[in-house]
Amino acid sequence: MVQLVGPLSKELSDSVSSCKILVVGAGGIGCELLKNLVLTGFKNIEVIDLDTIDVSNLNRQFLFQKKHVGKSKAQVAKESVLRFCPSANITAYHDSIMNPDYNVEFFRSFQLVMNALDNRAARNHVNRMCLAADIPLIESGTAGYLGQVTVIKKGVTECYECQPKPTQKTFPGCTIRNTPSEPIHCIVWAKYLFNQLFGEEDADQEVSPDTADPEAAWNPEDTAARATASDQDGDIKRVSTKDWARSTGYDPVKLFNKLFKDDIMYLLTMDKLWKKRKAPVPLDWAEMLQLANPQDEGCGTGLKDQQVLNVGGYSRLFQHSVETLRSQLADKGDGAELVWDKDDPPAMDFVTAAANLRMHIFSMNMKSRFDVKSMAGNIIPAIATTNAVIAGLIVLEALKVLNSDIQQCRTIFLNKQPNPRKKLLVPCALDRPNPNCYVCASKPEVTVKLNVHKTIVQALQDKILKEKFGMVAPDVQIEDGKGTILISSEEGETEANNGKMLSDFGIRNGSRLQADDFLQDYTLLVNVLHSEELPKDVEFEVVGDAPDKAPPSKAPEEEKSITNGNKDSAQPSTSSKAVVEEDDLLIVDSDEEPSSSTADVSTETSSLKRKHQDAETGEAASKRKRLDQQSADDDDDIIALD
Amino acid sequence: NMSEQKTNKEQRYDRQLRLWGDHGQEALENAHTCLLNASATGTEILKNLILPGIGAFTIVDGHKVTGEDVGNKAQAATEFLQELNSDVSGNFVEESPDKLLDNDPEFFHRFSLVIGVQLPESTCQRLGAVLWSAGVPFLVCRTYGLVGYMRLVVKEHTVVESHPDNALEDLRLDQPFTELRNHISSYHLDSMDKKDHSHTPWIIVIAKYLEKWYNEHNCQLPKNYKEKEVFRQLIRDGIRKNENGAPEEEENFDEAIKNVNTALNPTKISSTVDDIFNCVQCENITSQTSAFWMMARGVRDFVQNEGNGSLPVRGTIPDMIADSDKFINLQNVYREKALQDAAVVSKHIQSHLQAVGKVINTNKIQFLHCAAFLRVVRCRSLAEEYSTDTFQKDTITSCMDSPDSEMVLYLMLRSVDRFYQQHSRYPGVYNYQVEEDISKLKLCVNSLLQEHGLSVNVKDDYVHEYSLI
Repeated sequence: MVQLVGPLSKELSDSVSSCKILVVGAGGIGCELLKNLVLTGFKNIEVIDLDTIDVSNLNRQFLFQKKHVGKSKAQVAKESVLRFCPSANITAYHDSIMNPDYNVEFFRSFQLVMNALDNRAARNHVNRMCLAADIPLIESGTAGYLGQVTVIKKGVTECYECQPKPTQKTFPGCTIRNTPSEPIHCIVWAKYLFNQLFGEEDADQEVSPDTADPEAAWNPEDTAARATASDQDGDIKRVSTKDWARSTGYDPVKLFNKLFKDDIMYLLTMDKLWKKRKAPVPLDWAEMLQLANPQDEGCGTGLKDQQVLNVGGYSRLFQHSVETLRSQLADKGDGAELVWDKDDPPAMDFVTAAANLRMHIFSMNMKSRFDVKSMAGNIIPAIATTNAVIAGLIVLEALKVLNSDIQQCRTIFLNKQPNPRKKLLVPCALDRPNPNCYVCASKPEVTVKLNVHKTIVQALQDKILKEKFGMVAPDVQIEDGKGTILISSEEGETEANNGKMLSDFGIRNGSRLQADDFLQDYTLLVNVLHSEELPKDVEFEVVGDAPDKAPPSKAPEEEKSITNGNKDSAQPSTSSKAVVEEDDLLIVDSDEEPSSSTADVSTETSSLKRKHQDAETGEAASKRKRLDQQSADDDDDIIALD
Repeated sequence: NMSEQKTNKEQRYDRQLRLWGDHGQEALENAHTCLLNASATGTEILKNLILPGIGAFTIVDGHKVTGEDVGNKAQAATEFLQELNSDVSGNFVEESPDKLLDNDPEFFHRFSLVIGVQLPESTCQRLGAVLWSAGVPFLVCRTYGLVGYMRLVVKEHTVVESHPDNALEDLRLDQPFTELRNHISSYHLDSMDKKDHSHTPWIIVIAKYLEKWYNEHNCQLPKNYKEKEVFRQLIRDGIRKNENGAPEEEENFDEAIKNVNTALNPTKISSTVDDIFNCVQCENITSQTSAFWMMARGVRDFVQNEGNGSLPVRGTIPDMIADSDKFINLQNVYREKALQDAAVVSKHIQSHLQAVGKVINTNKIQFLHCAAFLRVVRCRSLAEEYSTDTFQKDTITSCMDSPDSEMVLYLMLRSVDRFYQQHSRYPGVYNYQVEEDISKLKLCVNSLLQEHGLSVNVKDDYVHEYSLI
């Protein structure tokens, strides 16, 4: 007879109590997971999280209480767990898992790694570290009522990056600066404005009228002429938005007049823009004051956040938030910067006010603070229940891995409602690794289409290698027979190259670049495909990547009928399949939203509904095959998260 | 300070308010739930209710705790759970559920939900009967090793806001009310300037082209795909042309074309709502009638009289491309009609209330916005499930035929309950008794099958597995 310890065999119970595991993330899933792990008998646990506790975590992250707000999640989680399980041996790191200290050796010291993360960058990184260390990884994510767990084992299953995922939606600069047509454009503008005024200035986040807008000029030569002209006159292309604001002492009225009157009047002079569009209407501060309703300051019925004020109310809110932020900035001392955070009330007030004033100017319907927050903060709804279910499933998968039963491991989807086969939890067989994966293939290789005369080395490093291919500290060598080093991860070695074009180094069509990330123990061969015909605002394209060339989808028709045409029914909908062998992994990212510093708001936020009763649609789920077709299509119920 | 409290709550509950809204939150905060047995499963369930801010909970448990937290289990669990959220009121009763049922069965009437975890079959049945007749929802939960079971028992659960996944807008384009008709007439697409033309809400665009369509089609809506295609072309032809004869970009027209399919759905009452109107509760209004049924009756009266067969207007329209003034004016047309309809419904409700001498505070407006989405959920009682007469023999037998059915787990859990009822302990708790327990559990399985006349085969593997937990 098998000896049992609780519901586990003696052997399994022994490996549970003797193994060492790493939990990456101590948020929504992490808290539930830590509890489950110690109650299952896991003894040696290391937990890492760079985040601190926020009030908005307390509705689900039960290891934290109000008195812990501002403290390290990992540390407080450890202390709370020890209160009910003093015998556990827990090490907490208040740090980023992407810190080079956590190298392959570090990962090798665990039998198993469990992700409880909220962003793709960290997921990509841990995926690579686990592949390099050949340690099994359990990946998970939740969004609202939906959740997913899967198991990743080098050479046996798909890795996290085997299927391409959509990149975040970005908006053309001139849409943001000159011709917003949707509320999200005004919200992105307001977030840029916050950084331009109070935070870290970023050349990619300009808010002033864009005089080089190709649409505004009568002919191409004109565009160039105007662009040069505006570089020289200090009027519109001012020294710096921040310097100017500072020179006014952050006077809210002056800021208001500049942003919502003068700049708009200037836009009106670019008359070509308004031939087909409804022209913006500048606002007048004095008039706004007349409109402000004193009652807006108090609280009416229902939730205050969900009221839409009139334009006067938002003018007032703009004034008050600028005043508050100005004194916050002053308190921090000279040269200090503020970081935008959706959960910081004055920062959120500022964006709500500025975005709504701009929406009004461009004849859009204004939005409540609640809705603006959803879109600006890329908020993914989250509840304890879903996280508890997913954390439970993580442990069950972990037990199979420890039992050397990887063949029994499954990807499991948690649905909002039972599927037609009456299953709320839908297990699917794991897929084999994608032989063409640019991460886990034996010799990863990609082809990138770009213009070698227009792409600078810095862009290759930041936008292609780091952002797109998830490297942390790449070294790049040109395979030109000389081994020219283009980028070195050592400080001070290749900075001089940053501003130069790729063609300056002899890179042309057909050139091959070898990109290495020492920490991730990862080498990627990049084939350069030179092209002069990339679409506007596109710096590069990965050949064979989404959305144009999605991997063949084997989606059964019935799925489409479940999901088509209605974003309310955001379901993973692996539904009616018996055993799913297709590549339809649901990528639900995160218990939480990506870090608020992410400037670009992704598509999915724009499809978050505005009306409150529809808040449920904020939940998001997607399958990879659908993700590949990612678009801003509002009708599509499949929403990608990151 | 009220305002500050509100802000705190908004911050704390932000991530869930985006899922179930402020009405959902209000319902949660008004709920008082009772947990029987502060077991691991029971406290886990409460944790997930307390964190999002349920109004109150009461734990009923007669067990003592050993070890460090020595004392009563109900009290210890309440104290720890209370730490999770100070907005929640926690209570406990140090008594076994059976004793409480003996002495004070009415104790259970006060709750919005009773959760029974690991209750013996007999307790479950007794409590089930009390709650069934009191109309209190009962959630039966059981975990056994790696197997779990959950069953909701509720006689009638009424839902005002069911948040259907595929709700269509209520636009009445097939039967415009007078105010809407007048509003549509105030638009003259042909004589508008270019900007106004491209900023006319798509609802108006469709309504205008529908008038044209009616003239040629005997006042019949475009019905099938083919007709709708023709109708779409009609709208497409209405897009303004530039001096070279090429169509201008008019996004509002694109929206209109995209919305043809759903916007032209005939206004009608769903069978779900119609069934509700035909319920006996809706027919016979007494002083016992609940707010839901009172309002359902008011809506029914409206439908049968002033509404001429249609529900009250919902009063909301989706966001669309339009300039603010045009959008707001159109929105007001729908909103004002909805308010008028609500007033009529309210009058009907008042007359029923007066007739039975009753006062109910209801959120009429909220109810009317949702009139199309009323739902009533009904379950079978535990008595029906357990009685050999009403036991769903055929369903169980046919499920047992399918290899991946989980019905066998249900039968095993019922057998384990039977084991507990006979031996006052679960099988396999003592390692030395396992062999003995296997044959005892097998007897329970067989007697259960026999009593219910089930000729199905439960594999020995299951019996072994369940004896090992």
